[in-house]
Amino acid sequence: MMWRRKRMLEELDKDIREHIARETQDNIERGMSPEKAHYAAMRKFGNVTRVKEETREVWSVVWVEQILADIRLGLRMLLKSPGFAFVSILTLALGIGANTAVFSLVDCLVLRPLPIEHPERVVFLASSWKGGQASTAFSYADFREIGEQTPTIFSEMTAIRLYQADGVSRDRNSQPMLGSYVAGNFFDALGIKPALGRLILPSEGAITGADPVLVVSYSYWKSRFSGDPNIVGEKVTVNGLPVTVIGIAPEGFRGLSSLVDMQGYMPLAMAPTLKDAPADFLTARDAAYFVVIARLRPDIDMQQAQSALQVVAERLAQKRPKLAGILTIRAVHLGPAGLTINPGHPEMLPLISTLFLGLAASVLVLACMNIANLLLVRADSREREMATRSALGATRSRLIGHLLTESILLALLGGVGGVLLGLGASQALSSIPLHTSLPVVLDFRFDWRVFAYAFGVALLTGILVGVTPALRAARGDVNRILHEGGRTSTARDHRLRSALVVAQLGGSLMLLVVAGLFVRSLEHVQHSDLGFDPNGVLNVSLDPHEAGYDEQQAREFFRNLLQSARSLPGVQSASLAASVPMGYYDLGTALRIEGYQVPAVEREPYAAYNSVSPGYFETMRIHLLRGREFLDSDAENSPPVAIVSQAMADRYWHGMDPIGRNFSSDDEPNHSRQVVGVVKNIRAESFEAETSPFFYVPFAQSYQPVATLQVRTATAPETMVREVTGLIHSLEPVMPVFDVQPMTVALETVNGFLLFQFAAGLAACLGILGLVLAVVGVYGVISYAASQRTHEIGIRMALGAEPMQVLRMIFGQGFIIIVAGVLIGLVAAAGMARVLQNFLIGVRALDPITYSGASFLLGLVALAACYIPAFRAMRVDPMTALRHE
Amino acid sequence: MSTKEECERIELLQGTLDLLILRTLLLGPAHGHAIAKAIEFNSEDVLQVEQGSLYPALHRLIQRRWISVEEGTSENNRRAKFYKLTPKGRRQLTLETRKWDKLAGAIARILRPREQEGE
Repeated sequence: MMWRRKRMLEELDKDIREHIARETQDNIERGMSPEKAHYAAMRKFGNVTRVKEETREVWSVVWVEQILADIRLGLRMLLKSPGFAFVSILTLALGIGANTAVFSLVDCLVLRPLPIEHPERVVFLASSWKGGQASTAFSYADFREIGEQTPTIFSEMTAIRLYQADGVSRDRNSQPMLGSYVAGNFFDALGIKPALGRLILPSEGAITGADPVLVVSYSYWKSRFSGDPNIVGEKVTVNGLPVTVIGIAPEGFRGLSSLVDMQGYMPLAMAPTLKDAPADFLTARDAAYFVVIARLRPDIDMQQAQSALQVVAERLAQKRPKLAGILTIRAVHLGPAGLTINPGHPEMLPLISTLFLGLAASVLVLACMNIANLLLVRADSREREMATRSALGATRSRLIGHLLTESILLALLGGVGGVLLGLGASQALSSIPLHTSLPVVLDFRFDWRVFAYAFGVALLTGILVGVTPALRAARGDVNRILHEGGRTSTARDHRLRSALVVAQLGGSLMLLVVAGLFVRSLEHVQHSDLGFDPNGVLNVSLDPHEAGYDEQQAREFFRNLLQSARSLPGVQSASLAASVPMGYYDLGTALRIEGYQVPAVEREPYAAYNSVSPGYFETMRIHLLRGREFLDSDAENSPPVAIVSQAMADRYWHGMDPIGRNFSSDDEPNHSRQVVGVVKNIRAESFEAETSPFFYVPFAQSYQPVATLQVRTATAPETMVREVTGLIHSLEPVMPVFDVQPMTVALETVNGFLLFQFAAGLAACLGILGLVLAVVGVYGVISYAASQRTHEIGIRMALGAEPMQVLRMIFGQGFIIIVAGVLIGLVAAAGMARVLQNFLIGVRALDPITYSGASFLLGLVALAACYIPAFRAMRVDPMTALRHE
Repeated sequence: MSTKEECERIELLQGTLDLLILRTLLLGPAHGHAIAKAIEFNSEDVLQVEQGSLYPALHRLIQRRWISVEEGTSENNRRAKFYKLTPKGRRQLTLETRKWDKLAGAIARILRPREQEGE
């Protein structure tokens, strides 16, 4: 279009000159003098400039120019009333900012696909048997078999042993690395290309110990090796053994989840050499260590994959008679959050995402109502301008277009502000301390999806906000307005504005109730009885294998460490544990309990457990109910013993005395343990779970390579950090330590309070934002109404009305609006109760305290907002008011 | 130039000018000046085109692809742009002519109802 226009216009000048020359020539032939002939030709041709202008117009795209003109005019109008523009843009920026920030969370958690080739076709496998929890763990033998039986379904299938903590040393400086052991085709299957060097090859990792190579993640390379390219090809030590760094994974690739950075990758068959994996872990059918990832062939859908996997499951089950007919294997799409199978609440993440997006959207709606209110007021005062333009020939659609352009312009400017605010907010969100040494990444970065969302929201906002005032203004009756010229605000307008504010108050109350419920839920979990006392305890985690120790050396080290820790001044007690409550590591096993008949409908007994040293129950202040604690005499070769929780005793021994009873577990199939004590239940995994069966075994009898030293201190635990880590390094200078923090801080993890804090904080922010917007709305409407009534108030006062009566009159108007708003808000909040209940612990979604508290707060603040215009109205000077009209 | 009185000349409506241009080009390609002359001549100078207004009209027709442009040499060996009717323009002309006849007929019936009835 553009090039055609250019070409056509290029020779217009020449054409016109040519035309006039011909006409002149004709005239001369008719006998005119050349000068006269030229003059006549010019006159006959007409206005050359106008002709050129009109010809150019033929080629110009009219609507583009009109929009440009509208935008220019809109900008001028905004500049003319900077106060209005500033308030509107700020309001919209707050609303859009809240939405953008929340959306960036949702984007990170739910929407943004993993940076792998065709992520939509990549699945992981989950197995489950009737009554049992779904599991992503498969044995290597099963993995091979599934792969061999489904070549027509999956083009690639690969296995990975996830999240192993390894110590990586370079120049005798050992630091933990979260690594994985992967099948040779792992990177090929995901379609990953190296940033530097090469990745692990399909040929590597078949023979135990044969390929000591390491690929590290981009961010680990940047942080641990400061991005030194020479690291490729260099030898480092992993758990004390030499390994060659062969390459760097591409930037942004964090393994199977976008939330945790997988820092290192080594071939599967290196696990027995580098890590404590048993030598037969690639052949034993019971050693379910592996997550299986597969890529669907392009022409295969999930349905076909599921039925093919079911056939495989039946075949696999034949080898394990216990599982025949009840084993199922299914493929699950690999989303951005990684391997999330949460059989109880599969849709939790999308659900809470939707909830918060909805809350943020409500905030924006409140903001929009404020703007709509302002625009309505302005539409009144601009009715005259519109009528004049219409009288001068502007069509109705041009007027509507112009007003809409103005509001969209406003919204887009608000959108820019919103994106800036949202950037700040999500920056703040992603820097929340997670209190873990795990490389958890909250990458709430703004990608094109977030920008598209912000732009879409802003555009929609502009249209929604502007459409009513635009239609109303353009509908105006030209004659009436130009003749009357005066007040045009009607009772109907006022009712519309009041209705907007009622809705605003309702929305705001709903947000406040939701915020209140989340805050009360957080309060509940923070004050719930955990069964142990987290105050005054310092945690230090360490893994002697990362410093190159073997099991005997590590046991020796732990023994020495405990002894010297107990004699540190200021330490009341010290103990070791394999895991800490609400931590990221835990242990669990299936049990066989002597004398307990498993009911037919139940799966076999299962319990989480912890491996702890003597002194643990004293350090954690877990109440011993019966029997005895672990003693130093419960050593490696002494008779195996266990201490069980109250819940386990009740469940499996039904109130009989469990002391002296025996049970064995899948983790230790070769011997059984005798129960020597019963302790109070603790909350070790989550706040919601009914306290489930739990037991403890002596650390000496159930050695774990990674352990946490816990010391109960006389003073604040933070003050003992230097002494305790100093002690560790006096025993072994290169021993890496991690998660050095008080137990109270360790509870603020993703499994602990963190999500509750996060939800409560976010909901509270949105609630406060909503409250502010609603109050501004109330203030705006009441003060506008009061100013419209200045004349009337003047007359009333002149006729002898008391100032208090005036105050009551204005207040009364506000009061009705507030009561109506609160009622609507209560209904709206109650309507959300069922959804909300999913996310609340220890507080009902219809909690009366929250409802009344939120109503009271909103009512009070809104009344205060009414007070200012009411007070001003009370002070009206009758003389001024009357003269003004 | 013209012997007619000013008041007898008819100011051209935009659409009418388009129609006249298409009609003129039906006889063969022509350059701008020739088209203006032809319109004046054929209407016996009743229709007075302000010659300049021809150009916006020509460009409008080009944009609608009713006519096309080609370089050519005029009768006195001067290079000029020749405008030519396209098949699309030809169809449009038939359509417009029919419309025009209808309109003209209608106007005629309104202005001289008696004569019409008399026939």
